[in-house]
Amino acid sequence: MATHEIFMPALSSTMTEGKIVAWLKQPGDKVERGESVLVVESDKADMDVESFNEGFLAAVLMPAGGTAPVGETIGLIVEQEADIAAVAASAAPAAASAAAAPAAPASAPPAAATAPAAAPPPAAAQPASAAPLAPPTPAPLPSVSAPPLLAVAAPAANGRLVATPRARKLAQQLGVALEALRGSGPHGRIQADDVLAASGQPVSLPRVAEGPGPAVAAAPAAAANPAGVSPAAAAPAAAGQAFGRPGETVPFNALQQAVNRNMVASLAVPCFRVGYTITTDKLDAFYKQVKGKGVTMTALLVKAAALTLARHPQVNAATSEAGMAYPAAINVAVAVAMADGGLITPVLAAADRTDLYSLSRHWAELVERARQKQLKPEEYSTGSFTLSNLGMFGVDRFDAILPPGTGAILAVAASRPAVVAGNDSSISIKRQMQVNLTCDHRTIYGADAAAFLKDLAQLIETNPESLAL
Amino acid sequence: MDTRRAAILYQPPGLVPFAQAWRWQRQLQQRLLAEPQALEAVLLLQHQPCYTLGRGASTEHLRFDPADPPLPLFRIDRGGEVTHHAPGQLVLYPVLDLQRHGADLHRYLRDLEQVVIDLLLAELDLVAERSAGFTGVWLEGRKVAALGVGARRWISQHGLALNVDCSLEGYAAIVPCGIAQRPVGRLADWRPGLRAAALAPQLLERFSARFGLALRPPLPAEALEAAWDSDPRAGIGAA
Repeated sequence: MATHEIFMPALSSTMTEGKIVAWLKQPGDKVERGESVLVVESDKADMDVESFNEGFLAAVLMPAGGTAPVGETIGLIVEQEADIAAVAASAAPAAASAAAAPAAPASAPPAAATAPAAAPPPAAAQPASAAPLAPPTPAPLPSVSAPPLLAVAAPAANGRLVATPRARKLAQQLGVALEALRGSGPHGRIQADDVLAASGQPVSLPRVAEGPGPAVAAAPAAAANPAGVSPAAAAPAAAGQAFGRPGETVPFNALQQAVNRNMVASLAVPCFRVGYTITTDKLDAFYKQVKGKGVTMTALLVKAAALTLARHPQVNAATSEAGMAYPAAINVAVAVAMADGGLITPVLAAADRTDLYSLSRHWAELVERARQKQLKPEEYSTGSFTLSNLGMFGVDRFDAILPPGTGAILAVAASRPAVVAGNDSSISIKRQMQVNLTCDHRTIYGADAAAFLKDLAQLIETNPESLAL
Repeated sequence: MDTRRAAILYQPPGLVPFAQAWRWQRQLQQRLLAEPQALEAVLLLQHQPCYTLGRGASTEHLRFDPADPPLPLFRIDRGGEVTHHAPGQLVLYPVLDLQRHGADLHRYLRDLEQVVIDLLLAELDLVAERSAGFTGVWLEGRKVAALGVGARRWISQHGLALNVDCSLEGYAAIVPCGIAQRPVGRLADWRPGLRAAALAPQLLERFSARFGLALRPPLPAEALEAAWDSDPRAGIGAA
């Protein structure tokens, strides 16, 4: 049985999630190749999402009005009409959650429109216009509150909670506590409709079909491919930006030339890299709590790095002709790609001593002015430590190039669900992200980097609430 | 060397009924969908008074019964909430293949905003700005340009509406763009005597410069379908 997933497309490099305005097809409808299946909205722009396959819409996994992260599976198309029922009816939990989960990482760390780093050249070529993360879609869904979230994430071990994956997902998005519900499904299993009813959402249309079984086997790589499948097919979205057309050679602009000089200069620095895997469940939960107050993931990461740097001044230091230079303050720069090429590193000064909410506001303002090319030199050239976040693209690891005049840069990848074996032989699913610290060995040694990362991980894993203090 | 790509400029005279302009845009969009190498196009016009709603817009922002609107009301295939069109407002509808412009809808919106910001600064010495999270162009806290875009296979339609010397009375019946407590404005309140038609050439120049286009009038074969007598009520109902 051939099943094709429909993904939430990336309509912009700064888009992390999109709102489904309408399904133009209903489950069971015939779909032609190239025919519009649904409409997605982000900011003030709508885009028709087309099917790359001829077939039948078998399931709508996110109803109109809902918001889904870029890359999330939002619908399923089957090639044979006879398969509709099987896909729509089968509520094989494992398979469906497998379909939904890996696609979702972008929801966690992305937040701001930050992008590449003084990172490797290919990344620098990424588009990412640095518009502040549009707090876009006025989502009609109530925002998630923490308790139900945790309840969803960790079903009680004893009184086992039985709910379909779609129901869990909806509960998380609608802020409904699953334990409070009585399921209408087989053996009291909680269905998506039960969650919708509990949240006051209309249950009737469009019907939310439960995910299918093993057929959801589209190549993972397809997640990068917005609406569908064959990359050769007409369309759109995640197309990378190029500055020239085929056959052309395009001169570097001034900003690109500046980046080039810095990147080449880094070749004279004896760098090494140390990686660490950080569990982010608590950070993600905390982020959901404070997101409504305007806090961005970028601000959280900056704050965490800054507080850790305060205890590891060696990692904030840099090599100068006179020796090891210890800056007077902890100024965290964050790499932001410019839409028309090059990148810039706006600086959050004294980030360890600035409160999280001010950092978030200040960051949004810096990014906006960076985009308009209105930053003053001291606003982008005074970083003592740099952060580069590619998490919003779902990147699972990368390393960054050290900007001149600093000692270290931290590359932050996406937070993704992972199967984790505990020291007590337990097995669990946790969200994890990889970070990778690039250091100048003249000033920062391996042990310095390792100790910094250990403390950073501990802060993020055990005590993210302290970032708001 | 001029690296601008040719694009067709349509400037229908007079006040264009909304339904007519919408139909033209779809005609141009169809042409680009059918022939990927076809030229991009731009419509610059002024509308008869009307209201439009984005596809996902809430009717809560209407201060009237959608079944009995004071002016023609259309629910159309763009993003965003309700807005108002009236004579004295310059309406720019670029039908572009956004894949030739970076394939990035947010960037496209920011570029459209920049066209207006640059225009106001260069021609009127007015410093307009963006407001994070509130798409559009703002002048001293008042919104002077509204944006809404719809795209199919990256071919855009709809665009921006710049209030030059239009009456603002029609806005009283709606919450523009769904943003309460954020008033709308018009340029004539800053530059008395300014007329929409007088600003049109500069708007086109700023637009074509930002998007790297060389605008030219349509050839006979590129003419839009003849205007048709639209029933102003034709678009109602969907709302």
